[in-house]
Amino acid sequence: MSAVQTSGLEIVDVSVAYGGNKAVSNVSLHAPVRRITGLIGHNGAGKTTTFNACSGLLRPTTGAVRLFDKNITGRSPSARARTGLGRTFQRMELVNAMTVRANVALGAECPLVGLNAIRQVFSTASQRRAVEKASTSALELCGIALLADRTVGTISTGQKRLVELARTLAGGFRVLLLDEPSSGLDEEETERFGAILQQAVAERGLGILIVEHDMALVMAVCQYLYVLDFGTLIFEGTPAEVQASELVRAAYLGSEAVEAAVR
Amino acid sequence: MSDLIPFLVTGIASGSLYGLAGIGLVLTYRTSGVFNFGHGALAAGAAFFFYTLHVTHGVAWPFAAFLTLLLFGGPVAWALERLTRSLGDVPEAVVVVATVGLLLGIEGFLFIQYGTSLRQSPEFLPTSGFDISGVTVTYSKVISFAIATASAFGLYAFLRRHRLGVAMRAVVDNPTLVALSAVSPRRVRLTAWSIGSMFAALSGILLAPTLGLDANLLTFLVVQAFGACAIGMFSSLPLTYLGGITVGVAASLATKYFSRAPFNGVPPAVPFLVLLVVLLTVPATRFPKRRASLRSLIPETKPMRRGTAAVLSGAGMVGLAIVPAVVGTHLPVWIAALDSLIIFGSLALLIWTSGQISLCHAAFVAVGVTTMSHMTNGLHLPWGAALLISGFVAVPVGALVAVPAIRLSGLYLALATLGFGVLMQFVFFPTYFMFGETLQVSAPRPRLGFLDATHDKQFYLLVLAITVACIAVMVAIAGSRLGRLLRAMAETPTMLATHGLGVNVTRLIVFCVSAFFAGIAGALAVTQYGTASTAPYGPVSSLLFVAVLAMCGTRLLRSSVLAAALLSIVPGYLTSFDVSRQTFAFGVVAVAAAIVIAKREVISQMTTRFARTSRRRPWATSPAAAAPRAAAGSRVPAGMVR
Repeated sequence: MSAVQTSGLEIVDVSVAYGGNKAVSNVSLHAPVRRITGLIGHNGAGKTTTFNACSGLLRPTTGAVRLFDKNITGRSPSARARTGLGRTFQRMELVNAMTVRANVALGAECPLVGLNAIRQVFSTASQRRAVEKASTSALELCGIALLADRTVGTISTGQKRLVELARTLAGGFRVLLLDEPSSGLDEEETERFGAILQQAVAERGLGILIVEHDMALVMAVCQYLYVLDFGTLIFEGTPAEVQASELVRAAYLGSEAVEAAVR
Repeated sequence: MSDLIPFLVTGIASGSLYGLAGIGLVLTYRTSGVFNFGHGALAAGAAFFFYTLHVTHGVAWPFAAFLTLLLFGGPVAWALERLTRSLGDVPEAVVVVATVGLLLGIEGFLFIQYGTSLRQSPEFLPTSGFDISGVTVTYSKVISFAIATASAFGLYAFLRRHRLGVAMRAVVDNPTLVALSAVSPRRVRLTAWSIGSMFAALSGILLAPTLGLDANLLTFLVVQAFGACAIGMFSSLPLTYLGGITVGVAASLATKYFSRAPFNGVPPAVPFLVLLVVLLTVPATRFPKRRASLRSLIPETKPMRRGTAAVLSGAGMVGLAIVPAVVGTHLPVWIAALDSLIIFGSLALLIWTSGQISLCHAAFVAVGVTTMSHMTNGLHLPWGAALLISGFVAVPVGALVAVPAIRLSGLYLALATLGFGVLMQFVFFPTYFMFGETLQVSAPRPRLGFLDATHDKQFYLLVLAITVACIAVMVAIAGSRLGRLLRAMAETPTMLATHGLGVNVTRLIVFCVSAFFAGIAGALAVTQYGTASTAPYGPVSSLLFVAVLAMCGTRLLRSSVLAAALLSIVPGYLTSFDVSRQTFAFGVVAVAAAIVIAKREVISQMTTRFARTSRRRPWATSPAAAAPRAAAGSRVPAGMVR
């Protein structure tokens, strides 16, 4: 796999402890651009903790997070985002009172204005056009252009997941962290979601790191997988290798899940 | 050393009572999830009730104390449990409004019943004493301390040993589980409120002889309990009790070292200094957190159509322009109302648009008032320049308050801002830079070319023009990029941060903008009356602003207009509706408003849940929404249309 490993997000030897409990210990993984990388594991295996350490919502006790060969371990979440790292949330963080378009536009506006107080207050016509263009293309890519004027509070969970995805796409981030994006979606919606992800990677050359429980989706879209168990990395490899691994079967997948995915 | 002993004795005696009040506050907060800002008002109420029984009706003090505790441990606790339960799971801001309303309601009631002047409450405990190295320690102090300590230890043992006590500790973590184990969470909460109210009542009764009977003083001095709670991290009862003693001793020692002006305001502010230091230094994750942010308080309905809005605001402005010709001698009332409109607008921008709670807004206004006076009477600057400078001087003060807003949210931000307001009143108001030792400032009316604003009619027009300009800017902000960012920040600041926005910059901006307009309002207020004292700019006014605004809804413009009418115009015409009655009425209505919001919240949650389960065809709910589906083509995700 080393041939595809162009620079993206790299986590080097990261450990996170809550109080005395080590939630994640010595995890290293790599999510390069132009690839969908999966992170799987049981509930409580430390997947979301790893994500939060990547996006800066919590500081790792040891180890480093690197993005495009820059060490971003000490940076704030917003600084990381401006370096090109976007994310979605397992519990969706949407502004329910706003329309779909306004929510997606926020994704484009936040990295644009950043820390600049003047830009936060005043917007120029060219900025507005850029935001408009980025959000329209993200809405179209996610297939929710028709929902643009609906209030987010009134749409379904599946549609909301797409709004979250569109928002990170509008932000122009080069690496996306997606935290269980298919939870609450039915089979058909999940399939569609996977297709959108693949399209986004193909068209925009993004790197995606995805935490997911839906094995069908993971096996279908990911080119490379990391398996976490009780906070440590127990296996990494292509989906086929993961499915073949006795270790992963024993620890996590169980034969039914693998067979279901193969079918 | 021996000259410190009297201060230590006084400090420990009063500190143990602060600790007792603090324990009651933490207990009810942890079991019900509601931090009761009205806790001190309960103590004040109890002190007055005891006074009425004991002094006015001559009931023997043990019996009077027993009756008071019975009242507060029984019916009052029941009502509080009922009230807090009906709040359900509403956002923090609403809970703050409800209990602030409680504070104002009780305080207003006491003002109406007993007047605002200080009464002496006779010491009912023995005043004889014994000597410790030449210092007399009265038995009353020893008894107070003993009662407080015994109560604290009693509660501690109860929580460890008794079944109900253990359940009480469990309710904090998971009420549903407790209900499953056959102990009613309601009974547990009721017990907690009963103990909490009795502790507040006890501290009120025992503090009154030393402090004197003054509703305001008692309400805010038992708020010393806030400092104690902060030391206990809002969760540990033993630490809270020790915190109370620490605060008591520190305040008492401060009276020794800061006895001369301009620092004599420091001792009463000590508990809030403690509170501020704890809130600003301890990591925010250490404090218990129970409630969501402002979420869904922001109306989901679409804003008014531009045309309608233009017609309405045009009509409103014409109406306001002809006011001087219609209202006769009531014109000053209307000038004051315009001024309130700016205040409420700036507050609504902060609270409703951006989801930050500020309980120190009157302090921003005060900065405007005093700066205006210094700029006109002191430096003789032109009036317009002085007005602008008054706004700009308030900006750094707003930025200062934004510092806690960066670290804290919800309840703890409310506490920190209240602390800041108290600090301003006690420590900074009396300094030369603000009101000075006379606690009064003045500013002249301007003569601007053809406009002679010494006449009320012309001054009204000037204020109207400034108000319209200020409101227009605020409305423009709400509709701009900043407004969008602020509304999103109220719901999900984490999302904005992970998308690259410097959220702290946004917070800073909104506090600065809000403080600027509050400063302008202050400058106009002092210009209108010619003089201004500190009285209208204390923490109670800040609480009143928030309560009145909250009862007028969550819109920027509409709520501000309504609030200004309620706070300025109504009392202007109904002269019997004095400050005491306003405090009482607005307090009661704020509580009611909070309950209404809570009910609405429940209904809206139920309807969305219902809609979610019943809606099989998300786009076919209305013909208008269904139409585009036909033209959707292949872009429509297959899974989305079922």
